[in-house]
Amino acid sequence: MLRCTLLVCGRGVVRLLASSFCSESSALPPNLLLPTNLVDPSRSKRPPPPADCPLPLLRSCDAVVPAHLSAVQTWVETLEARGSEPLGWAQLHPDVFAVAPRLDILHEVETWQKNFKRISHANTKIRSEVRGGGRKPWNQKGSGRARHGSIRSPIWKGGGVSNGPRGPTSYFYMLPMKLRVQGLKVALSSKLAQDDLHIVDSVNISSPDPQDLLHLIREKLWGESVLIVDVGEEFPENILQATASLKTVNIIPAIGLNVHSMLKHEAVVLTLESVRFLEEKLLWHDQRYTPLYPYKLPYSDLP
Amino acid sequence: MSFPKKPASKALGILQNLPRISLANLRPEPGAKKAETRRGRGQHGGNRSGRGHKGERQRGTRPRLGFVGGQTPFYLAIPKYGYNEGHSRRPQYQPLSLRRLQYLIDLGRVDPTHPVDLTQLVNARGVTVQPLKRDYGVQLVDEGADIFSAKINIEVQRASEGAVAAIERNGGVITTSYYDPISLGILIKPVPFFLRGQPIPKRMLPGEDMVRYYTDAESRGYLADPEKIQQARLALALKYGYTLPDISKDELYHMLSMRKDVRQIFFGLAPGWVVSMPEKKILKPTDEKLLKYYRS
Repeated sequence: MLRCTLLVCGRGVVRLLASSFCSESSALPPNLLLPTNLVDPSRSKRPPPPADCPLPLLRSCDAVVPAHLSAVQTWVETLEARGSEPLGWAQLHPDVFAVAPRLDILHEVETWQKNFKRISHANTKIRSEVRGGGRKPWNQKGSGRARHGSIRSPIWKGGGVSNGPRGPTSYFYMLPMKLRVQGLKVALSSKLAQDDLHIVDSVNISSPDPQDLLHLIREKLWGESVLIVDVGEEFPENILQATASLKTVNIIPAIGLNVHSMLKHEAVVLTLESVRFLEEKLLWHDQRYTPLYPYKLPYSDLP
Repeated sequence: MSFPKKPASKALGILQNLPRISLANLRPEPGAKKAETRRGRGQHGGNRSGRGHKGERQRGTRPRLGFVGGQTPFYLAIPKYGYNEGHSRRPQYQPLSLRRLQYLIDLGRVDPTHPVDLTQLVNARGVTVQPLKRDYGVQLVDEGADIFSAKINIEVQRASEGAVAAIERNGGVITTSYYDPISLGILIKPVPFFLRGQPIPKRMLPGEDMVRYYTDAESRGYLADPEKIQQARLALALKYGYTLPDISKDELYHMLSMRKDVRQIFFGLAPGWVVSMPEKKILKPTDEKLLKYYRS
């Protein structure tokens, strides 16, 4: 029931409801803000490319697809032209883009990303570090007051903290390499399954204006925030200028792809080269040997 | 026969109709995160905080482990005997069964057309040797001798008689040789050693407790007399009841007869040479004293 109500309420349904009331004045306020992760039925869920698609196949899988699986097929679009017609279709490897949606792995990798960099600098002084408190305040016996040994003991006001945070503490830990790799694969598969992954031929756009890029994204109904992923050290000037001032549209190199960024942005846009790069890197871990020494050192038999 | 369904297709299909996965939707698997016990808090953790009632238990003044109230404790009453004396200094050999060796050869992880060395076995991830834990190498165990059918030139540190028989029955060659701990560490991980930039050391000879094993023809030691080894091969063939195949007529005879020099660690590299990996060069010493030392 909740899902039905969620499906009914949607950003685009504002238009639906407004159109149904077009004879009378719309009962919905014009500045209605709905949460952005509600499923929008008006968003055109383009069906996946059929077997007899007239558009060309722009990319097939480089790695061998196992016999019991079949490649995932998606549309390839373009950022240059304003129309929302796809250029062609591409095949993606199922062991990267159609793995089981392990939400618990996503949660683990996301908490790791958040916490492994954390160093908490909270520090309190214990009774020996608080200034003063070396002398016994009054005699043990005879004064009528409670017996005390130092004015900085934890039961005193102004005294040291007995069990407080002690100095910079590191929360560093590393998850196994294969778990982090699986997290990336699960994130890519989930984005693809929920129609939030878009393949683009290249990252060249026609103008460096940020508003143009926003119009393009709104036309294609990609979502509120977009993460653009490309391979290489140099990016075209236009896209860099366009995304520099935008908060919700960001561009990263393919080596910087991570689960947190993918979940934070509603849509993820990959170029064909970045798809090739990611497939190569992520599939390697399925068939590698365990390391005898760090992988950075030269190996003769591993590729 | 049922057709294999694509794994995860059902879950991904369900996901298409669910709200978008975002940072606000993530949660751990129910039951994965167990809350830690906090002593001294609440109705169950508080009061005596799990310490019991009065006495040394609650007050934390229990005596040391093994104390039995004053009576001579068990660990002092029993007299000593050297069962475990020097146990941490005894050489250990990681077992390698013939079954595992056959498995590695069948999968193509170990190449039988080249001499099989400890480096090859470790590169194939067939065995894990830890020289720092008093491992002196690998020992061949004869489990799987009945399925073993590969002709290889193998060099291990210890071998059981059945394993030797199984290898020679298939026309292979087995040698047992000694590696001192430093040479062993270099042998199993050659690349980190080469990156150190040190010259390859010469392999040390076995100590007096091991010399007897490695000069024995029965155990195919590398210091033994080749004629005695041939006689031992014939004797073993008679004992186990198989005909010893003649390797000299084999096409791989050259490969099967490749053996390392007594002081050599790697095939093709002599002691004293420096391997420079970034420049991809081998540097050999030219000084007479060094050559004399490394050749001794």
